[in-house]
Amino acid sequence: MKKLLMVLVALALVFAIAGCNKAPVKPKIGVAIYKFDDTFMSYVRNQIEAAAKDKIELSVQDSQYDQPKQNDQVDQFLTQGATALAINLVDPSAVSVIMDKAKAKKIPLVLFNREPDAADMAKWDKVYYVGAKAQQSGTMQGEIVVAYWKAHPEADLNKDGKLQYVMLMGDPSNTDAKFRTEFSIKAVEDAGIKTEKLAEDTAMWDRVKAQEKMAAFLTANKGKIEVVFANNDDMGLGAIEALKAAGYFKGKKYMPVVSVDATPPALDALEQGTLLGTVLNDAVKQGQATYDLAFALATGAKEIKSDVAPLAKADGTVDPTGKYIWVPYVKVTKENYKDFKK
Amino acid sequence: MKNTESPGLSERFNARSIREFSSKNAIVLVLIGLVVFIGFVQSSFLSLDNLVNILRISSVRLIIALGCGGILITAGTDLSAGRTVGLAAVIVASLVQRPDYASKIFPSLPYLPLFLPILAGVAAGLIVGIINGFVVAFLKVPPFIATLGTMVIAQGASSLYVDRPPRGAQPIGGLRGDFTDLGTGSLGFNDTWAIPTIILIAFVIFFLYWVMLNKTRLGKNIYAIGGNLNAAVVSGVNVKKNLITVYVLGGILYGLAGVLLAARSGGATNNYGQMYELDAIAAAVIGGVSTNGGIGTAGGILTGVLIFEVLNNGLVVLGVSAYWQMVVKGIIIVSAVALDIRKYTKKR
Repeated sequence: MKKLLMVLVALALVFAIAGCNKAPVKPKIGVAIYKFDDTFMSYVRNQIEAAAKDKIELSVQDSQYDQPKQNDQVDQFLTQGATALAINLVDPSAVSVIMDKAKAKKIPLVLFNREPDAADMAKWDKVYYVGAKAQQSGTMQGEIVVAYWKAHPEADLNKDGKLQYVMLMGDPSNTDAKFRTEFSIKAVEDAGIKTEKLAEDTAMWDRVKAQEKMAAFLTANKGKIEVVFANNDDMGLGAIEALKAAGYFKGKKYMPVVSVDATPPALDALEQGTLLGTVLNDAVKQGQATYDLAFALATGAKEIKSDVAPLAKADGTVDPTGKYIWVPYVKVTKENYKDFKK
Repeated sequence: MKNTESPGLSERFNARSIREFSSKNAIVLVLIGLVVFIGFVQSSFLSLDNLVNILRISSVRLIIALGCGGILITAGTDLSAGRTVGLAAVIVASLVQRPDYASKIFPSLPYLPLFLPILAGVAAGLIVGIINGFVVAFLKVPPFIATLGTMVIAQGASSLYVDRPPRGAQPIGGLRGDFTDLGTGSLGFNDTWAIPTIILIAFVIFFLYWVMLNKTRLGKNIYAIGGNLNAAVVSGVNVKKNLITVYVLGGILYGLAGVLLAARSGGATNNYGQMYELDAIAAAVIGGVSTNGGIGTAGGILTGVLIFEVLNNGLVVLGVSAYWQMVVKGIIIVSAVALDIRKYTKKR
């Protein structure tokens, strides 16, 4: 008899707990960032957190550049009752694992900044992507250089009509790095300027490494380099330090350096006249668009949209049934850098 | 060696003595061989500018490797070295931003006399060193684990430090000229007769560390602890005290290295110093420091660091692709150590 009673009590408890789950679901977004010590992603994260403040509950996790860890974090979000996920993938090619988890619980998924393959994106209708078209950042770098080259005939040091350049790449396995490298040069060539690559090496997005590689480039190509392309600001600024050590930016000795990101130190370098131009990957707008989509999905809004940019297809064409939001890049040079100082 | 009384010329140059010399100094020969080879293929590698630049880069790395090297000789290890360098770099950088720089970490920072920010950076290293030493010596946590812990803590601490209101995480730039002069300036009579400050500092540190290892009781104790812990205890060495000292010294050196790194590169981010501990350990081991403890010299560590940086610079100057650079570096690390280790294995 006692045993039966115990079983009944236990059953009652189980139902009581199960009943709790039936209560109206509080909207909640689980956010995972591929790693916290990436400067750009911390701007994105700051904006997501600022936008969500007092509006919706957020749980933000650091995936520490570890995809299995991120998968565990997604499991945790799902068991804690997240109603939407905003995931900055560690390894974009491994998206299917996370997508399957979300799909099984019918929790919509917003991916951002690190883009998965379009074929993976097509596998489910509740998955969105927010990011920038990396090609565009390269193209804009090239355009800044073209404008400078045309306005300054003396930039062609050896007067051969060709633009001799060196390229500081980010992590070569990263698609942004590949696109920036490829499309910056393509934009120059498309403008009818022939180019010659003197050196290309990876500095892994790192300022110190870029400074060291640039010094070696200068040694190997003394007086021949006409333009320096860097895949991001940290590397561009490292290159500038190496150039300073080699006597550039004093008197008339100048070297055009272009990079991407428009970080505060890069804006400072624009003001000092050492950096020719940078391209802003708009972290604030990326964070805002990510939040907009995640919020709409988490609260079950009828219309999924963001004021940052319209929904579009993978190739960039605007389409209300699309699942992509492409946040535009912005060219930042001496003329407009003041607008971006925060 | 002491029993050789002024050998004749023929004896001095016989095959055996050459072999002995080359096995003893294998690592120096590797360094010279590398420099000659790279210089032969691309002569600009040997230009004064480039060689001085390699020494500038090596300065920071040498200071880190010395700190690590002393610890390795006690049969310990220090994985926290790199991230501690990074922590010191962000701290010092945040305190020497130009007053007119727009996005200062501390918007209302007054103009501090240079020694204060430098002390703050070194103090950060000192604190990590104290924690390492205490955990290893008193709590008996294996150094690999203890310093793995402080590595992660230092990484977290530098991110916490950078990621603060009102601006949130961002690279730290706009450093004062008097500070960056430490890394990029020179000391001397005029422009032609001057030595880069950073190289001078590294040389002084090298000299002090050499004296510490060779001429002081602490140095002898470090070798004793690493060579045979039980024997050291029996012969009355205060193991705890000496261990703490060597970790604290390491921490101070990482702090100083972080300060110099920020000065040389003119900025800092929270991923500064990432993986530097592995480079430092590899350089020390290439330079003949045994990871089993008890063996290693300051000169060897210097050679190891130079081999590393000559390779880093030389491969780029030669235009070797980034992927091949890694392969070549890996091969040279392993073969340099394989060559060097023969002088120890023969003795046994």
